[in-house]
Amino acid sequence: MKKEEKKEYVNKKGLRLDGRKVDETRPIKITAGVLKNAKGSCYLEWGINKVLVSVQGPREVLPKHMANPLKAIVKFTYRMAAFSVPDRKNPRPGRRDIEISKVCGEALEKAILLEKYPNTQIEVWAQVLDSNAGSRVAVLTAASVALADAGIPMKDLVTAVAVGRADGKIIVDLNKEEEDAPDAVDMPIAMMTNSQEIVLLQMDGLFSKKEWEEAYEMSLKALEDVKKHQINALKQQFKEPIETKTTEKKEDNQVFSKSLSKNSPSDETKKEKHSSEKKVVKTEEKEIKSEVQ
Amino acid sequence: MKKIVAPGEVVTEQRKKMGDNVYSLNGKIYSEVIGITDNESTMASVVALKGFYMPKQNDIVIGLVVSELFSGFLVDIGAFHWSFMSKEGIREPLKRGSVVSVKVLRVNELNEADLAEPRVFYGGEIEKISPVKVPRMIGKNGSMLEVLRRGTNCNLIIGRNGRIWAKGGNTELLFKAIKIIEEEAHLPNLTNKVTEFLSKQKR
Amino acid sequence: MQKDVLLELKSDKILNNLKEGKRADGRKLDEYRKIKIEKDLFHNAEGSAKVFLGNTEVIAGVKFIPGAPYPDSPAEGTISVGTELIPLASPYFESGPPSMDSIELARVVDRGIRESKAVDFKKLCVKEGEVVLIGFVDIYAINYDGNLFDACSIAAISALNQAKIPKIEDGKVVKEEFSGKLKLERKPLLSTFAKIGNALVLDPDLAEETAMQARFSVATTEDNFVSAFQKGISGSLKKDDIDNAIDIAFKAAKEIRKMI
Repeated sequence: MKKEEKKEYVNKKGLRLDGRKVDETRPIKITAGVLKNAKGSCYLEWGINKVLVSVQGPREVLPKHMANPLKAIVKFTYRMAAFSVPDRKNPRPGRRDIEISKVCGEALEKAILLEKYPNTQIEVWAQVLDSNAGSRVAVLTAASVALADAGIPMKDLVTAVAVGRADGKIIVDLNKEEEDAPDAVDMPIAMMTNSQEIVLLQMDGLFSKKEWEEAYEMSLKALEDVKKHQINALKQQFKEPIETKTTEKKEDNQVFSKSLSKNSPSDETKKEKHSSEKKVVKTEEKEIKSEVQ
Repeated sequence: MKKIVAPGEVVTEQRKKMGDNVYSLNGKIYSEVIGITDNESTMASVVALKGFYMPKQNDIVIGLVVSELFSGFLVDIGAFHWSFMSKEGIREPLKRGSVVSVKVLRVNELNEADLAEPRVFYGGEIEKISPVKVPRMIGKNGSMLEVLRRGTNCNLIIGRNGRIWAKGGNTELLFKAIKIIEEEAHLPNLTNKVTEFLSKQKR
Repeated sequence: MQKDVLLELKSDKILNNLKEGKRADGRKLDEYRKIKIEKDLFHNAEGSAKVFLGNTEVIAGVKFIPGAPYPDSPAEGTISVGTELIPLASPYFESGPPSMDSIELARVVDRGIRESKAVDFKKLCVKEGEVVLIGFVDIYAINYDGNLFDACSIAAISALNQAKIPKIEDGKVVKEEFSGKLKLERKPLLSTFAKIGNALVLDPDLAEETAMQARFSVATTEDNFVSAFQKGISGSLKKDDIDNAIDIAFKAAKEIRKMI
């Protein structure tokens, strides 16, 4: 194989080096709620990229002088495992790690309803375990899921994708080989797709304005696809509350729920006959009044 | 009809009164969280499936005394910060590790709570559940709470903050039942299911 | 490490139950929690393993880097073990430079492997006097529920065993090409014990770690040697404790070795 010879990044059939079409993303797999000690978490695979994100908080801000009395602050940390890249990476965070942490945190700040939690911090830790271009969009996409998994309210999920150019063609979701193309342009973009608000945008390379517009248009469709993965990941953890099981359910090993047949829907409205009797206990506790949403 | 919605998904395009966990934009009402919405309801709201405890005035919660200050105690109730409880009027002996049920006296704009009227619990065990499941754990008029007590013979207090204190009876069985309720809180017919589960296990 | 008040509450109960030989999850005093090992998880790492030890989870990855040998061992490569207690694993882990706990953990895991001569460093020689390989083992805690020592030890050995050795040309790694797999001479494994009251328990979970006065880790090999001792935290141990621990460790590690 002539490795150093000119590569056909997009061939005559419109297929890329790995067989994808110009507007196709690599395979994505997302799982929410994977870490027991985190408030919210997400594991995401995007092509070769594998990232694990955890969310803690809202909780006390340390150091205290960083706290904002009007809203929560977001502390986003992006780190790559030493073994996540071809040449081992020194565990000490580099400037690239710090810059990515900053732009990702800022992207999420727009989506989270920060005013609800003044004087607190929401901590997002994104650990890249394996990488092949596009780790920052993978991490941001996963972070949104982790935040939703933590129950932190947001206006919309933040969805990210990288668009760019190789060999004169505008393509979506560049892999490492494509990033190394002589005329490569790499443009990570993240949006809240409902309102089409751009919350992260970076670019390096040489782009014409027309190419930027073409790349932007291409990113919209890709973002919709990625968002579907995010939403599915969040919903997958729960069995649907309706009778007709139209989508495939996550396998559960609760013998309990399988053995009992489900009756007709109107459950919560069935009046329970029990009245709340006051139970006399040694330590005089107060009876908890009923509160059903 | 109930369905699960994710943040940013449309709850309804109709003009409805807005309840919890939703916001409106350009005539549509969106969800802020992952939760359950019922489009047959007259209100547009979402019951969160995931979440954390935000103290509200008059909540009864279960806390752990963390430290003693000159004028009061710091109590961990699972909120963002430790909460303060004034020593005034407290006759019970309290120290680090004391388990108490307390009332939330007031909450300021920073979601910091002041607590009062502690009752100390001795012995027993504490488990945590997601605070969003507490209403289901208690049930309409305390119905689920009753099912749990009868089915396990435990003394049992459920704090609004998702902490459960239990003593006596079959606590192992109790916590199993609680786990089931946590996982199926949004599914129908839960009270009957739990009653059956407990009576089967009670042998 | 900062501790959870809720866990401290359990300490008395744990102490009392142990007087009757009982543990909260029903285990015997010399029994490990359920262990699961997954290998070869990543594209970039030459070796990798994820270990589940009860609810404790860690991930280890191996990268070989070519470098110059030490002058006093011109035909030998070496290994280097690092651990990171990242905030993912616990709400009490903070970001920042490695903590004392993290450094102790890394050094004890490293000691067990290095001193047992588990890796034949001569096999990591590419060109005598010029190029050797350094095997970096980086371990990340993913979920902390007690006993990171043993989890990290199992992960490190699992990741190293059968790790792909990259092909080296002109002192540089040839991408995507390998010259073979690393075969371990021995598989030393750490076994960690918690001293709670008079009881010595193997593989403490987080609640037991919160209750313990002293900790003892011992690395054992399949040919009945010990390759590391580490007594931890500020309580004390008696000779009997050490003797018991060694005996239990030989047996327990043997079972785990079958899974690697």
